[in-house]
Amino acid sequence: MDSATHMLRTGRRGARFQLQMAFRDLRTSYQRLGLAWSLAWHDVVARYRGSILGPFWITLSMGLMVLGLGFLYATLFDLPLAEHLPFVALGIVFFGLMNGVINEGCETFVLASGMLSQTSLPMLTFVWRTIFRNLINLAHHLVIVVGVLVAFGGWREADPLLALVGLVLMVANAGWVSLLVAIASARFRDIPQIVISVMQFAIFITPVFWPVGRIAATHALLVFNPFYHLLDAVRAPLLGDKADPGTYLTLVTMALVGWTIAFLIFARTRRRIVHYL
Amino acid sequence: MTSASITCTDLTVRFPVYGVDAKSLKKSLARVVSVGGKLGSHAGVADVTALQDVNLQLKAGDRLGLIGHNGSGKTTLLRTLSGAYEPDEGTVEVQGRIASLLDLSLGIDPQATGYDNIRLRGRIAGLSSREIEARMDEIAEFTGLGPFLAMPVKTYSAGMQGRLGFAAATAVDADVLLMDEWIAVGDADFQKLAHKRLLKLVERAGILVLASHEVGLLKLYCNKVMRLESGVASPVVDIRKLDELLAA
Repeated sequence: MDSATHMLRTGRRGARFQLQMAFRDLRTSYQRLGLAWSLAWHDVVARYRGSILGPFWITLSMGLMVLGLGFLYATLFDLPLAEHLPFVALGIVFFGLMNGVINEGCETFVLASGMLSQTSLPMLTFVWRTIFRNLINLAHHLVIVVGVLVAFGGWREADPLLALVGLVLMVANAGWVSLLVAIASARFRDIPQIVISVMQFAIFITPVFWPVGRIAATHALLVFNPFYHLLDAVRAPLLGDKADPGTYLTLVTMALVGWTIAFLIFARTRRRIVHYL
Repeated sequence: MTSASITCTDLTVRFPVYGVDAKSLKKSLARVVSVGGKLGSHAGVADVTALQDVNLQLKAGDRLGLIGHNGSGKTTLLRTLSGAYEPDEGTVEVQGRIASLLDLSLGIDPQATGYDNIRLRGRIAGLSSREIEARMDEIAEFTGLGPFLAMPVKTYSAGMQGRLGFAAATAVDADVLLMDEWIAVGDADFQKLAHKRLLKLVERAGILVLASHEVGLLKLYCNKVMRLESGVASPVVDIRKLDELLAA
């Protein structure tokens, strides 16, 4: 089950060799990015086969949540709806992306155990699959984003390019977390429960539903909350604001440090992952 | 094209056994916390040696039969040859495109149609979308499932599913074929077709490694045989010595 025409596996150990092998996994998975995409596409099609709206069902339920929470919080905090509803909409949609990449990361290797134990497919292929699947879902939810921006006229001030930069940073950061939880969940079956709880907690302490302006910009809930920085980098440009330069610095640093750590752990555990399953 | 070859040198594969307990994070944490405690004394991860110092040299034209009791390491060897398991010691080197026909249901999604499953399986096997579409007619015809290919696989009988899996899995051009039991499936008609196709594949492929308990099959398809006993391999001998090897 492999297109490679040469396969060499050795019992060699040592940090350098393991790192080399991890990089080889990365390279092969990049060469076969098309496979990750096919698998992701199949996942989405498979999940919604037989339903009329398909992935738009989630879009619909997200849309209802946006309307409900938008109206509720606008009333509670006495905010103009035209300002608060787009804020909530973007928050829910893009937090949903992070949430999906990280939560579903727990199943990345567990669900692929059949393929991993019989083929020499690169392991990272399955991490990209999880990320691609969530990007496909996001593409559906963009309906909500475009909808509120058009409905409230926000599109005039929006800066989609800068938001795209934010999105790349968001995916880059959610990606390494996804890889880490994928490895951890394969080994310890308690991890998915913990991850779900943490993400649930995160959505409430991050300004997704409630406006940023209610607390000081220097409040610990904002400054030390990675999810706030991640979200703000995508949301602010779309709302006609600018994210703080410090946010970009934080996100780039976080992505670099995060990927380094995650990749080192991947290099160390790679040969064992198939036995965890 | 390079000619196919398989080389195993002092190949040892061990399975770490992570018990149900060990999979729980609490136990792991407890191990860290209670230094030298009761848990700690049993905390070392046990392992099973599935293959020990296996040496194997195969070149194009070799069709190796693997025999041995259940749990003797046949499947582990096949999986190691497919690249899924990494050796703990020694090396395994395979030249040529590998087709591991270990599990026909690999990647089969019962909710998806027959066509979609052929595509998915083909993608996993390393074919590009274009290559799959080019072969689709041939594969579809071979399954003999006709209009059923447009239906979800869950509506298939076991035999029909077998046909689909077989047709999709054998659509790749491979130099090295790995098989856990001879995978001819379906009814008598299809089995005849399947045998023909497999024979063609085996002829095309440089190397076949087939694990089986059936002496007749091994004599039919293999020209060499190796016996595994608790992970330890016998020397590779000519198939004519199969009976001696079995008796040993």
